[in-house]
Amino acid sequence: MAPKKDPKAPAKKAEPAPAPAPAPAPEPAPAPAAAPAIDLSSVKIEFSADQVDDYREAFGLFDRVGDNKVAYNQIADIMRALGQNPTNKEVSKLLGNPTPEDMANKRVEFEGFLPMFQTIINSPNKAQFEDYVEGLRVFDKEGNGTVMGAELRIVLSTLGEKMNETEIDALMAGQEDENGCINYEAFVKHIMSV
Amino acid sequence: MFSSMYLNCICIHGLCVSVSALLPPAVTTIKAAVLIQRWYRQYVARTEMRRRYTWHIFQSIEYSGEQAQIKLYNFLGYLMDNFTPSSTERNLISHIFRENDVCWDSEWERYFCYKNIEVPEVYSGPHLTFPLTVEQAVGLLEAFRNKKQLHSRYVLQLLLETWKLLRMLPNINRISTCHSKEVTICGDLHGQLEDLLLIFYKNGTPSLEKPYVFNGDFVDRGKDSIEILLILFSFMLVYPRDVYLNRGNHEDHIINLRYGFTKEVLTKYKIHGKRILKLLQKIFSWLPLATIIDQKVLVLHGGISDTTDLSILTKVNRHNYVSALRPPKRRNHSSAGMSIDIEIDDDLWSTSKIYQRRASLTYPKPLGPRECFHNRSLQDFSTRIKANMENELENSKRREVILAATLHRSQQDILSVSTDSVSSDNAKDEWRQILDLLWSDPMNQDGCVPNEVRGGGCYWGPDVTEDFLNRHNMQLIIRSHECKQEGYEFCHNRKVLTLFSASNYYDVGSNRGAYVKLGPDLVPYVVQYQASSMTRELTARQSVGRTERSALKVLREQLFAHKSDLLCAFKKFDTKNTGLVCLIDWASAVESVMHLNLPWRMLRCQLVTCKTSDGMINYYDWFNELAIKGPNTDHIDQSLLETLYRHRSTLETIFRIVDTDNSGFISMEDFRQTWKLLSVYLKMEITDEDISNLAETIDSNHDGSIDIDEFMEAFRLTDKKSRLERGRSMFMHTTSDLTKLESDPNV
Repeated sequence: MAPKKDPKAPAKKAEPAPAPAPAPAPEPAPAPAAAPAIDLSSVKIEFSADQVDDYREAFGLFDRVGDNKVAYNQIADIMRALGQNPTNKEVSKLLGNPTPEDMANKRVEFEGFLPMFQTIINSPNKAQFEDYVEGLRVFDKEGNGTVMGAELRIVLSTLGEKMNETEIDALMAGQEDENGCINYEAFVKHIMSV
Repeated sequence: MFSSMYLNCICIHGLCVSVSALLPPAVTTIKAAVLIQRWYRQYVARTEMRRRYTWHIFQSIEYSGEQAQIKLYNFLGYLMDNFTPSSTERNLISHIFRENDVCWDSEWERYFCYKNIEVPEVYSGPHLTFPLTVEQAVGLLEAFRNKKQLHSRYVLQLLLETWKLLRMLPNINRISTCHSKEVTICGDLHGQLEDLLLIFYKNGTPSLEKPYVFNGDFVDRGKDSIEILLILFSFMLVYPRDVYLNRGNHEDHIINLRYGFTKEVLTKYKIHGKRILKLLQKIFSWLPLATIIDQKVLVLHGGISDTTDLSILTKVNRHNYVSALRPPKRRNHSSAGMSIDIEIDDDLWSTSKIYQRRASLTYPKPLGPRECFHNRSLQDFSTRIKANMENELENSKRREVILAATLHRSQQDILSVSTDSVSSDNAKDEWRQILDLLWSDPMNQDGCVPNEVRGGGCYWGPDVTEDFLNRHNMQLIIRSHECKQEGYEFCHNRKVLTLFSASNYYDVGSNRGAYVKLGPDLVPYVVQYQASSMTRELTARQSVGRTERSALKVLREQLFAHKSDLLCAFKKFDTKNTGLVCLIDWASAVESVMHLNLPWRMLRCQLVTCKTSDGMINYYDWFNELAIKGPNTDHIDQSLLETLYRHRSTLETIFRIVDTDNSGFISMEDFRQTWKLLSVYLKMEITDEDISNLAETIDSNHDGSIDIDEFMEAFRLTDKKSRLERGRSMFMHTTSDLTKLESDPNV
């Protein structure tokens, strides 16, 4: 995740506490607590009419109330359903870093959603097959094309945008062999075959 | 040192891993983690999306089927009231409109007498003795689990006892939880015996310590509806103060005609099925409408409306509403107190009806906005019918004269009583109350609007709930009627709980079932389950995939069945006749024809696989893609074939209505009459030659009668395999014991 250059962010990069940190250093990009929201009104919509209609339909599917809006906490999912891959943090930033109450209660209409979506589409963080494989290779101690399932679990539950146990179980279902190892190229193919 | 070792360890899943061994560049690790997490969340979102529209497809089709059934019933009712076709046609359908009068139970008891039905030696199912004991009830459970069938003698006996009990119950049951008692509440079961068995397994069978409320829709769609009824009734007979049954919209013989219960009973009970069904009609009408727990929690099947009034509902004569779909006629009791509705008095009934009908030949007065949907389909064909009315008026006037001259004194008593058959306002109001109770659905917006999707009841909003609960000093409404993926769902600020107990309802893996336990604290505790171990082993993705394929198959059938209308709609957009339409036009056209309110753009990739050039869709190619080859149907006119596919369920329903002796066969003549009826309903021309061609397709019987099942089978779009795969079949398979009993004339 490329750290966003933000002049207003606190200069202090979060370094771990003096004690030997049990966890590896926290994210290089600090939580943009004071960062202002992205200026959505300046985003130019480059979608074709067909695409807009597609997105509008998907948007409608997520509207469970019937007011032609969706809640803040659904925005990330809609984007993912439409094939994008934003992190929760990116979406949060787009929404102006709302509080948990805001996430649950505030709603946005389709016209407000479009520029957010455009921003995400424009952002350069597209992951390809190789990126995933590279990422997983990090955990390949022996360089033999496999990672330890247990390690992966720990990492996924403690780092980044943490997953809970159920999510991890669902993700890894059927991937580990009898030694608890995962062939990560196969894993990535599996991941990308949705 | 020891402690620092610990600081360096992470323990998860009982596995201690030294962190320093984990990795060097923290950045890369985190990047990797986030990558996978992002991917995973995308996977979940996309799967959820597919699940949602798949659900949407099944639900839309289900509800539009209900709507179609109501329209059909209204059509037939309109015929009965306002158009007296030749007597054969009217007799074809009149029997479903006979109102059941309460009087003369002794006559009814004669008709339902089981005493002369003998149980043969070879019968290996359970034998019942009355009064029923709990051992027998449990024995019945076991027998059904082992695929045995209860003999019709015992069925009738059990139903008679049930009827006697139900007549003593109030419209609204009131129960209380006391210190130790928790009430268990179950939602729709829809003939799915496996789910009921699972509930009893997990939660225990009903007993003095374990009261149950069953919230309607016990029958239809699943294949063991009668078994479910027999189990519920037997436990109710054993524990009358601890088992409560609410009526659902499927406890209605008109709905049963379309959704499989009628067929199930007639298949399983070839000789006595008709009697059993008749008795069940009465039983259904006597089922209580609602249950109130501790005066605070209201349990009913559908829901409420802005006019629901419990004080009215407490007082209605609920048994007058044999089917909730029809407003009641004013009861005409002659001084002789003669029952107007007995099989034996067939001719008497039909002649007196003619006389009455003459008085009702005027159009019913236009009803208020809430009833609009009820009459909408009637106005469609009223112009067509009107032309015939003048003739009929003449004919019936003539008949009346003849009648009067030949009528019997006692018969004249009936006739001399009021001929006004227009419902009084009071009765209409009552009817609407009951209809709302059984058919309504909650919505998220405030207000109350007619439920046009289903065709009955209304959609009610959170403000209506709030108002209702305050007025009646209650705190929660528990209802069923709608399938929910998790088996339950709260809405309206957790003041309304929807409970659905038929798991895998749309397809294997589509949803869980749930039941609710309520203790003295009245806090609902939900228990979920899913029948069939196979479904538990499927991953979310596999389960969604299966259901999705199933739904799409059903949808493709529907689309194919609407080919001509779709072609028309496309041509409107394709003015230059290129055979191509753009995506947005395709989606509009399809929605305008299908009225299913589905996300067509999203479904496009699944539905249209033929190559498109720059985003245009070649619709002729598309139709070829959809086209399904039936059996030898080349001699049949294409548009007629299409009608058949599209209105298959309606056609089958009419056949079943027409098949008055429930033999599964109708005569060639009745077959013709059925098509004539259908042609009026659909405003289509169907020639005699067309009808002959259709009959030819099922050439097996040269004796001039048509086997209904075979006929419908011949025009089935799906092949047998995929129907079974779907896991839900409207074609009930007979139990293994039945083959033994089949040769037995007494069953």
